[in-house]
Formats: sequence, structure tokens, C-alpha cells
Amino acid sequence: MDRNEFLEKVLAYGKKEGFAECEVFYRGGKSFEVLVLEGEVANYENSRQEGLSFRGNLNGRTGYAYTEQLTEAAIPYLVETAKENAALLSPEDMEELYEGEESYPHLEGINEELEQLQVEEKIAAAMRMEQAALAGAEEVASLDYCALGTGLAELAIKNTKGLDVSFAKNFATAYVSAIAKKGEETKTGSYFWKDQDWKGFDPEATGREAAVRAASHLGASSVPSGKYDVVLDGRAMVALLGAFAGIFFGENVQKGFSLLKEKTGEKIASEKVTLRDDALLQGGYASIPFDSEGVSGKNKAVIEKGVLKTLLYNRKTAKIDGVKSTGNGFKAGLTGSVKTGCTNFYLAKGEISREDLFRRMGNGLFITSLMGLHAGTNAVSGDFSLSAEGFWVEDGKIGKPVEQITIAGNFYHLLEMVEELADDLYFGSGGIGSPSILIRGLDIAGT
Amino acid sequence: MLKKAAVENILTAALESGADFAEIYAEETKRSNIAMVNGRVETALGGMDYGAGVRLFFGNQAIYGFTNDLSEENLIRIARDGAAALKGDRIYNIKGWKEMVARCINPIRILPDSVAKTAKAEQLRLASQAAKNFDALITQTRAGYLEVMKHVLVANSEGIWGEEDRTRSRFTVEAVASSATEKQSGHLGPGGSEGYELFDRINVEDTAREAARIAVTMLGAKPCPAGKMPVVIDNGFGGVIFHEACGHGLEATAVARNASVFAGKLGQQIASPLVTAIDDGTIQNGWGSAEMDDEGTPTARNVLIKDGVLQSYLVDRMNGRRMGAAITGSARRQDYRFAPTSRMTNTFIDNGKSTPAEIIANTEFGLYAKQMGGGSVDPATGSFNFAVLEGYMIRNGKIAEPVRGATLIGKGAEVLRDIDMVGNNLKRAQGMCGSKSGSIPTDVGQPMIRVSSMTVGGRG
Repeated sequence: MDRNEFLEKVLAYGKKEGFAECEVFYRGGKSFEVLVLEGEVANYENSRQEGLSFRGNLNGRTGYAYTEQLTEAAIPYLVETAKENAALLSPEDMEELYEGEESYPHLEGINEELEQLQVEEKIAAAMRMEQAALAGAEEVASLDYCALGTGLAELAIKNTKGLDVSFAKNFATAYVSAIAKKGEETKTGSYFWKDQDWKGFDPEATGREAAVRAASHLGASSVPSGKYDVVLDGRAMVALLGAFAGIFFGENVQKGFSLLKEKTGEKIASEKVTLRDDALLQGGYASIPFDSEGVSGKNKAVIEKGVLKTLLYNRKTAKIDGVKSTGNGFKAGLTGSVKTGCTNFYLAKGEISREDLFRRMGNGLFITSLMGLHAGTNAVSGDFSLSAEGFWVEDGKIGKPVEQITIAGNFYHLLEMVEELADDLYFGSGGIGSPSILIRGLDIAGT
Repeated sequence: MLKKAAVENILTAALESGADFAEIYAEETKRSNIAMVNGRVETALGGMDYGAGVRLFFGNQAIYGFTNDLSEENLIRIARDGAAALKGDRIYNIKGWKEMVARCINPIRILPDSVAKTAKAEQLRLASQAAKNFDALITQTRAGYLEVMKHVLVANSEGIWGEEDRTRSRFTVEAVASSATEKQSGHLGPGGSEGYELFDRINVEDTAREAARIAVTMLGAKPCPAGKMPVVIDNGFGGVIFHEACGHGLEATAVARNASVFAGKLGQQIASPLVTAIDDGTIQNGWGSAEMDDEGTPTARNVLIKDGVLQSYLVDRMNGRRMGAAITGSARRQDYRFAPTSRMTNTFIDNGKSTPAEIIANTEFGLYAKQMGGGSVDPATGSFNFAVLEGYMIRNGKIAEPVRGATLIGKGAEVLRDIDMVGNNLKRAQGMCGSKSGSIPTDVGQPMIRVSSMTVGGRG
């Protein structure tokens, strides 16, 4: 049965079973990954998957269910489960389905050149990456991971109110993690690349960078506990921003899980801070023309020059605050309900180079990675206490590596403490981005 | 799900490429979960995972592919597509079927899907109310119910044929206490490879009140002082220290690539002689227990460290080949999307001889970590980081004021050597462990232990 026909069948069955309105959310795709180890293919994966999620309104209540078995036999189970789930919910939580928009922004989803790329070329690139990593630094004798992947994701939403949208996107990823050893000491360094533009991928540079990063941390030591001026680099800041992105979600504010209640229009950060959520960013990892409810993607400032301009909303939470959805109603996979999610969510870059940022700091610490994000952060209070790694900066120059320290603070205060941002905007794989930022007086625990 | 004749055809097609080993894993999993926020059902979700993965070995090389279409024709295509990448030099045959003999490791009394969802929501309502009524400072509550009913089939060219129904139930509760400027939370999440009888075993209201107590205590706590000090880590979820700092380093997935500090250390003293550590996938109704692992090997009780000496790693089939080591029934995966690899099941430090009272009384000054949060580790270096959810200072051998915001950081190998007291109150707690083959249920556990010196991160 063709996909569209199947989706129509599910909607018709839902109607027949009493749903006043209903919707199907289809997600499919294919993925390929090759992992190389010592010049050989160690693992090779080639897969396809698809599934669909159903939501509908029955007696004024919204019920959800999903299935990965896309056969007619699964339809009664799917709709019955959605009915049972609907019965537990309150009418005030009903999610009104969306009829869609006249037109949607155009995004290039499929890079044809990437689609045509042969398996042999992908394997060869992974091998080159491995060789470059092994040759990238004297102390690197083995790799933790060296993988190259490509994928294609398809999305379609269709409902009984007329919404009918679809989008497909392909991408390639490369990840290398190198192990550097000197005596008893071991350090890892990694580099991740994700893009649609295969031509822009340099396997040698990717491998080399991972090796250089690993080796650069050898000989690291801790620092005495105290307050330090700190430059957090893009990678470290992306991790932190990702852990606290939820404080900007309308639903968390409404439920009391964020301290930004009634702060819209107020100054909540240093005037150097502009934070954007841009669904339409050219080449962005998280660019998408519509959210999981069919609302068109938008480019908006969440914080502009320190002032909170908007929270991120889906249709339900926007209605509660009397505003329009910002196009941030996203489902976590097939299994979840429509919640809130970011798209390309990033701190706008500053105007000075990273080197100038170091000079401006003078003496302090350059933090390049943070660990333990899922445990060492309190999303409600904003408190964080995280294990960190990086380098000393002396007289504006990078010095010896630093390890076994924790940085502690509060994310809300951190936003106010941003003194300057560099122009080295970096994006993580999830579409969260940040340049290097300068913060004065962070608590560091070491020896 | 799949008939033997179909499986034989799929494996035969896979072996035509010259693969020396072929395996099929198929599952049908029904899940249901309910989440309540501030006493109201926020989400009620559920559905069916359905898929299969085909894996081939060519010596030390592995190929994996998965799909949601379980027709024989499609699975043969997946097997052939994968095999096209490599070529073997001879054709292997499937050995005769050997059916797994069930040991009844996880007997189920009440199948979760036989209970009405409204009854499950009622348990959450009771918990929410108990947490809310515990103290006026409790401003928010969350309660959750999860059930998973998974049917798995593993069959391979060695003749293994294993089928198992795996049922898991879990209850979670979180309470948030607020003052004018601060919010602190406490949470607990008991569960097991068991049915709805979980709710006969635990009292949801007591569990909710305990979460509320942690939140209220921590709200009044001062920031934890930073620096190096002795740390006493209590039983139960305190075992996350061993899980993160050592357990991951004992997984063959790290050891085979020489990416673990414990690689090449079998038979060596790697921990204090007080430490005996075990990974046991056979504990009755344990959260991480099963009849077989996800390669169809019966689960086992594996002693990892005995009196401080490294005894065994956790070994899956492929890494066993790479290392020349025997498999230990430790191959696990989240679902069919993942090829299995060596993972922990129920992992714990075994009982020692000290009583908890003796450990506290023998500590002049230090941190008492009563409840631990999650953490993470770099297996290559053993560097770890984890959060203390409920902490107190120890002064003059007595538990003193509560402290918040503490994290423990260190290196697994050092902490293992620095354990200088081990209690006699072993307890396990449930967690989800994320790694290469996805997110899987694992128990952590330990009695109270003392580490002579650890770096504590904090803001005080």
C-alpha cells in the first residue's frame, strides 16, 4: 500500500471510531554508517525505518498512540490505544488540530550530490580520516571512534482539517575520537562534522583536529579552587545552552519549571547577549519549514541585547499566553506528544576574534569541554556544577592544559555575567550554537 | 513473530555472502506511560515498537541492518544488502536449533496491560497528593508510570533460538520545594522486571513523601564547600559511582579497543582489597535482569572484582572474538535499532563488614552523599563526574548540616583504590544507562562506602 493511502486509511478509521478530528504524523528514513578500525571496516550499518503517530480528539480530549508496524492489522490497536489514553486527560488540555497555512517557507532538503555518493567513497573517506588522526599527533596511537554516516529523514503530517505537509532532508556526519597517551596519562579528543555539503568535508582535517585536541590536553593538571575569569568556548557553551534551553519554553514557565515568569520585555541578560531561534537558517542542522503541528518555521530573537523578547511556544501554550505559536511545537520522536523544542538555537556572535577575547581576559581559564551535563545541572533552579577541561590563559595566550576541575554557577546569573562574545560561532549536532564567551569570576573547584 | 522456516531462509541468504556468523533479532514491544504534573495527567502515551535487525560477522568485521518490515522477503533483502559490503572465502551452514531453557528469572504475577489505565493514574494521584501535603514548601509535583511488554526473538547460525517475554514496570516521583529565590527537587524511581505487582511491593505515598523530604531538606541547605575531602557515599543509587567510574571501563566495547584504563589488568589488584563487585543479570525480577542477553546467551552472575583483584570483563560476542575472551551473557541493546554490545545488567559493590554508623563515626570531617544523581564518564581516561542530590557535611564523626550543589569528580581507578571502608547495607536502585547500544535498564548498587579523598565541586 502506498504511504498516502495508508495514512488516509488511519484517518478514516479514527473518524469511524468516534474521533471528531484526527491527525497522523509519519516519520521515515534511511541511515548508513561505517566505522573503521585499523584500516578495516569494523562495523557497517545500513537501515530503513518508518513509523507513525496518531493524535485525535474524542469527547473533547486528546489521545495519542504510535506504531512502527505499518500494516492494516495494526490500525485498530493504534486507534484503540489513543482512545484509552484520551480518557485519562482533561478537556482543558485538548490540543486543537491545525488546518495549516496557505504556503510554507522553502528549504532545500535534499542535496542530490550527497544522495548519489557511493558506499566506496564513504568508506574511503572514513579510512582517510583514521589515517590523518593517527598521523595527526605523535602521542596518538589509537582511536576511540572513527565513523562516517549519511542519512535521510522524511516527515509527513496529514489531518482531517486539511493539513497536508511533508519534507525530506539528507545529511552526512563524521565523528573522530582520538586517544593520546604519554606514560600513564591518557587523554581523548574528538571532532564532529555534520553537513549536507559533501564537497565541504575535509576528512584529513577532521581526523587531524581530533588528534591535535587529544594531544593538547596531555600533561594537564588541576588548579587551586577559587574564582576565575573564564572563556567558555563554543562547544562548552553549546552543552550548557542545551541543558538550559527549556527555561525559555512557554510550557515550563507556565508550569513553574522556569524562573522567567512575567519576564518577557525585561532585561534578563547582559546587553551583549542576543539569543536566536531560527528554523530557517541557511544550512542549519535543525532547519525545518514547519513544526510537528504544521505551523511554519520562523526566525526570532528570544533575547535581544539582553532583553527577553519572547518565549518559545507551541499552539497550546501560545493560546494560554494569548500569543501566536512561534513554530516550536515539536514531538520527541514518534512516541511523544507535541511539546516544545528548539530549532537552530544560538547566541549571536560578537565582533572580536577569540584571540582578542583571550587578550581581553588577560589571565584566566579557557574551558573547552564540560562533562556530566545530565546530572550536574538543575533545570529548575539554573544551578550547575560540572566537570571541566581546558587550558590556562596567561597574558592573553593559551598556556598549559587543565583537568580535574569543576565549574559551578547559575545559568540565569551567567547570562547577566557575559562580558564579551567572540566571532567564532560554533554549532553542535542538534542545531544549538554559541561563540566563545568571556565570564568574570566563576567558581572553580580544583585542588 | 517469525517462523523457523523464514528465519532459516533469512540466515541462509545472509551466509551466502561468506559471512561466518549470522543473527536475527526481532521484537514487538508495547509500551504505555502516564505522566502527572501537579496532580493532573499531563501525558498518556503508548504504542508499539516493531522491528528486526540482521547482523553478520566476517571475522572481526560486523555488519548490521534494521527495518520495520518483518516480511521474509524484506529481511532477506536487508541481509543481502548488508553482505554486499564484504566477502567471505567460504560458505558456512546453520547449525541445528538449540532452544533456550527458561529459568523463570522474572516471574510476572499481574500483566500490566490487564490493569485499567485509570487505576494506574490513581496511583499517581495518590503519590502527587502525598508529596504536595508533605510540606507547604512543596510547590510542584511530577509522578510517572511506565510499563514495557517486550517480546524478543534471537536466532543465529550457531543454532541459538531464544524467545523471551520481558515485562518491566516503574513508578517515578519528583517533588519541587520553593522559596522566594530558590527551587530544589528530590526524586525517586523504583521499578523492576515485574508486572503491576510492583504496586504491592512499594508504597507510592511513602516514596513520594521521601522525594518531598529531600527537596525540602535541600531547599534549606547551604552551598557545598569545594575541595578535596573524605566522602561517604550511601547505599542504593550511590552505586552509580561504581557504574560510571568502573563498570563502563570493564565493558568489552571499551576494553577490546584498548580504550579503558582497566584493559590488560586481569588478575591485578585494581581496587582496595575491601572491594568485591558483581554484575548479575539473574537477580529475580531485577530491573536489569533477563533470561538471556540480546545475543541469546543465558544471563549470568559475573564477579568482576574479588577482594580488589580484577576477575572478569563484560564480554559480548564480537568483542569476545577481538579479545579472545569468553562471552559473559552481557550483550544488550535498547531495541532492534542497535547492534548489541557489552553492557551492565545489575551491577553492585558487594557487602563489606562495617556498619553505616561505624563509617560515619570514623569520619572526622567530610561529605556525606546520601542520595546521588546521575553522572558520566570518559571510559578511556576513567574521568567521571556526578551530582549529589542530597548531601550533608560530616563533622567530628557526626552528620551535620545539609549542603547542596555538590558534585564528585575523579578518576575511576583512583577512587577504587581509595575506598577505605565498605558497609554491610547493600541496596540496589534503578537507572537508565545510555551508551553505544542505546538506553537500557540497569541496576546500580552498593552498601555505604567511604572514599578517603575525593574532589568535591561546589559553590560554598
